[in-house]
Amino acid sequence: MPRMLPDVLKNLFRKPVTVKYPKQRRELPENFRGKPVVDKEKCIGCGLCVKVCPDGAITLDEKTKKPRIWMGLCMMCGRCAEVCPRKVITMSKEFELATYNKYKAMSE
Amino acid sequence: MIETLWYVFAYFVFPGILFASAVGLLFMGIDRKITGHMQHRIGPPIWQEFLDVGKLFCKEDVTPAAANSFVFNCAPLLSFGALIAVVLLLPINSAQPVLTSVADLIVIIYLLNIPAVCMMLAGYASGCPFGTIGSSRYVIQLFGYELAFIIAAFAVAAKAGWSLGLSSIVAYQAQNGWMAFQVALIPAAIAILIAAQGKLLRVPFDIPEAESEIVHGPQTEYSGPKLAILRIAYDIELFVVAAVVVVLFFGGPVPHTIGGVHIPGVVGFLIKCFGIVVLSTVIRNIAARLRIDQALKFFWTFPTLLAAISLFLVMVV
Amino acid sequence: MTFILPIGPQHPALEEPTHFRIEVKGEEIVGVDLRLGYAHRGIEKALTERSYAHGFYLSQRVCGICNATHSLAFTRAVESVAGVECPDRARYIRVIDGELERIHSHLLWAGIAAHEIGFTTLFMLLWRDREHALDMRELLFGHRIYATGTYLGGARVDIEQKHIPQLTRALAELEKSAKHYIDVCTSDRTVIARCSGVGVLTKKDARELCAVGPTARASGVDFDIRRDDPYAAYDEIRFDVVTERDGDVLAKVVVRLREILESVEIIRQAIDAMPKGPIRAKFPENVPENEAVGRVEAPRGELMYYVRSNGTNKPERVRIRTPSYANWPSIRPMLVGGTIAEIPIVVASIDPCFSCTDRVTIVDVKTGKARIMTKGELRGLQK
Repeated sequence: MPRMLPDVLKNLFRKPVTVKYPKQRRELPENFRGKPVVDKEKCIGCGLCVKVCPDGAITLDEKTKKPRIWMGLCMMCGRCAEVCPRKVITMSKEFELATYNKYKAMSE
Repeated sequence: MIETLWYVFAYFVFPGILFASAVGLLFMGIDRKITGHMQHRIGPPIWQEFLDVGKLFCKEDVTPAAANSFVFNCAPLLSFGALIAVVLLLPINSAQPVLTSVADLIVIIYLLNIPAVCMMLAGYASGCPFGTIGSSRYVIQLFGYELAFIIAAFAVAAKAGWSLGLSSIVAYQAQNGWMAFQVALIPAAIAILIAAQGKLLRVPFDIPEAESEIVHGPQTEYSGPKLAILRIAYDIELFVVAAVVVVLFFGGPVPHTIGGVHIPGVVGFLIKCFGIVVLSTVIRNIAARLRIDQALKFFWTFPTLLAAISLFLVMVV
Repeated sequence: MTFILPIGPQHPALEEPTHFRIEVKGEEIVGVDLRLGYAHRGIEKALTERSYAHGFYLSQRVCGICNATHSLAFTRAVESVAGVECPDRARYIRVIDGELERIHSHLLWAGIAAHEIGFTTLFMLLWRDREHALDMRELLFGHRIYATGTYLGGARVDIEQKHIPQLTRALAELEKSAKHYIDVCTSDRTVIARCSGVGVLTKKDARELCAVGPTARASGVDFDIRRDDPYAAYDEIRFDVVTERDGDVLAKVVVRLREILESVEIIRQAIDAMPKGPIRAKFPENVPENEAVGRVEAPRGELMYYVRSNGTNKPERVRIRTPSYANWPSIRPMLVGGTIAEIPIVVASIDPCFSCTDRVTIVDVKTGKARIMTKGELRGLQK
C-alpha cells in the first residue's frame, strides 16, 4: 500500500496552502527588515551610517548633510538603523521594491 | 456526396481532430489541476493546456543543423495522424464507430504503436545525446508494456467469442455487463491499467522523457509549432488510451434515457474516460520514477502474468 | 564503444553550473570527470579588502543555503584571532540560528532529491513543510534566508519571550513531518527501488577520500564537529550523532531526515537552558597579529575558515574550505559501475553546493591536467 496515498487523497479536500499573492498578502513579523526609511528632521549629520554600511550604499547629501540610501546596493542588513544615535533610520516592512530604473531608487 | 461530407465532418470535427483535441487538452488540464490539489497547492487553471499549445504555435520553428530534417519534421505529424485514425476507429457515440474494418482491435493496437515509433525515430534523428538515450529507453519500455497490453486485449476478445471487432465487444457488454466485472477478466483489467500507465509515459514509467535526467528525452530539440503538435498528440493519446480501456473493459458508449431525456452515449463515455484519467493521475502522484531495467522487469512479471492468467481462465473455463 | 555524455553547465538536474563528462557504455558508467569553477567569484580576495565587520556580511554570501554557518565559522575564527569571548546568551542564540538553518537545509535537500527521482508530490510536500522553518527565521531574526543571527562578538538580536510559543508550535510541526517523511522514504517501494543499493560509498572509501558530513556519516564514519570540537553552546546540550551503515543513497536520506529530529531536540533544549544576560561583547576595530582556524558543522559537513590578521582592521588572508569541496572526490566511486539513471540522484546525495565549492582550482582542458595556482601566479595574472 503506497504510503503517500492517504496524504494525497486527504490533500484533495483541504484548502491549499498557496497564498494567492498579490491578491492576498501575509502578515510580516515586527522584526522584519524591509526598506530603510529615513526621517530627515532628526538627523544630526554624524555620518556613522555611512561608515557602518557594508555595501557603501549610503551617502550624505553635500548641502543638507542628510543620508541618502541607494536601494540598488542596500541589502537591508539593518546596521544603519542599529547604529544611528538619533534613530533616524528605521527598517520598514516594505519589500516590493521593483522599479524600472534602479539608479533612481533612492530612500531619502 | 453526403457520405463524403459525413466523413469529412467526422474527421475534422466529431469525433476527429477538434473533438479529440479539445477533450484531450481538457483532460490534461484537469489532470494538472487535480495534481496541484493533491500536492496541497492550487494547480494551473483547467484550460492551461490550450494556452500552452497556443503559445507554442506562435514561437519560432527551429530545426537543428545536425538533425535529419525529414524524419525530424515528419515525426510529430505522423503520430498526430495515427492518433486521429484511432479516434475514428473507436465507438465513441454509439456501438458503431465511424470507420470499421475486419479486425478493429489489431488495427488499433498497431496504430497506437505508431506514436511511440515516431517518438523513437525523432529522438534518434535529433542529433543530440539526450534524444538518443531517450529513444533507446523508449524502445526498451515498448517491449515491456506492449506485451501486457496485447494479452489483456486478447483476453477480452476471447471472452466476447473471439471477435476482434469493437462494436461486437460493446454489444456483448451491453448484454452481459462490463468486462471488468467478469471474474475471469479482473486480473486483465488491472494489467491493462498498469500497461496503460506505461503506454502514456506517466510516472512511475515516464523514463523516456525523464525531465531531471535527460532534459526532455526524444523531444529535447523540438520547439515551436512542432512541439505544439507533439503536445497535442500526447494529450490526445491520453484520451485515446483511456477510451480503448473503456471500450474493452468498461462498457463503451451506452445511451441512456433518464427521466424522458435522451442522453447520447458520448456523455457516459466521456465520464468513464475521465474516471480512468483520474485513476492514472492518482497513480502518477504517489510513486517515484523507476529505472528502465526495473521497469522492464516489473512489466514482464506483474502485469504480463496477470493478463496471461486472465487469458488462460477465459480460454479454459 | 564509450560515449561521452555531457551534463551541464545547463541541465535540469543541477541548480548551479558545473560540468560533468561521463563516459558511458550503453547505460553503464565507466568514467567520471568533473569540471568546476563556474561559480567562482573571488571571495577570498575580496575578504582581504574589507574590514572584519563588512567581511562578515560577505562571508555570509558564499552560500545561500548555509549562510548562518559560514558567518558563524568566520566569526569563530575572527573571535579566536582577536581573543574576544562571546557572552553566554549569545552562544545559545547561535545554536538556535544554526539548527534552524540545518532543518531548512535538510528539508530543501530532501525535496530536491525527491524531484530528481521523479517524485514531485514528495518534493512539493517537503517544501511546504520547510516553510515552518523559514517562517521561524523570519520571526526571530528578520529575514528568511540571510537571517544574520550571529554577529562579531555575540548575537545580533535577542530572542524575545513572546516569540517562544510560536517557535514551539513550529518545532512540533517540523518534528511530526520529519517522522512522517522518514516513514514514507523507508517504506515506499518505488523510493526504495531507486535509492537502495545505489551510489554506495564504503566506509574505507569515505575515510580515504576525506568525505565529511552526512555523506560520511551515512557510511558509518562517526564524526561530528558539534560533538568532537564543540563550539557555541553545544558542549552543554545533549544530542546524538546520527549514523547509518549502508552508505547508499537511502542511508544518506535517512541520516539527513533523522538529523532534523535531532535539531528539533537541540533547539528545545537551547530554549529551556538559555541564560539571561548581554548578547554582544565589544569587538575591537583593529585586530592584533594572530592566526586562527574556525570550524563548524554546516548542514553539509565540516566547514573551516582560516583567518590571519596583521594589526589592521582588514584580514590579511582568509581561506575557506567548504564541505562540498571535500565531498566531490567521493563522487567517483559512487558513480562508476552504476547507470545513467542514477547520476542525478547520486550527485544530489552528497548535497553539493556549487557556490561553496569554487575556490581556486584550474583544469587545463587541452592537456586534461589539473593544477592549483599559487598566489604568485594569480598575482602575475592580474597585471
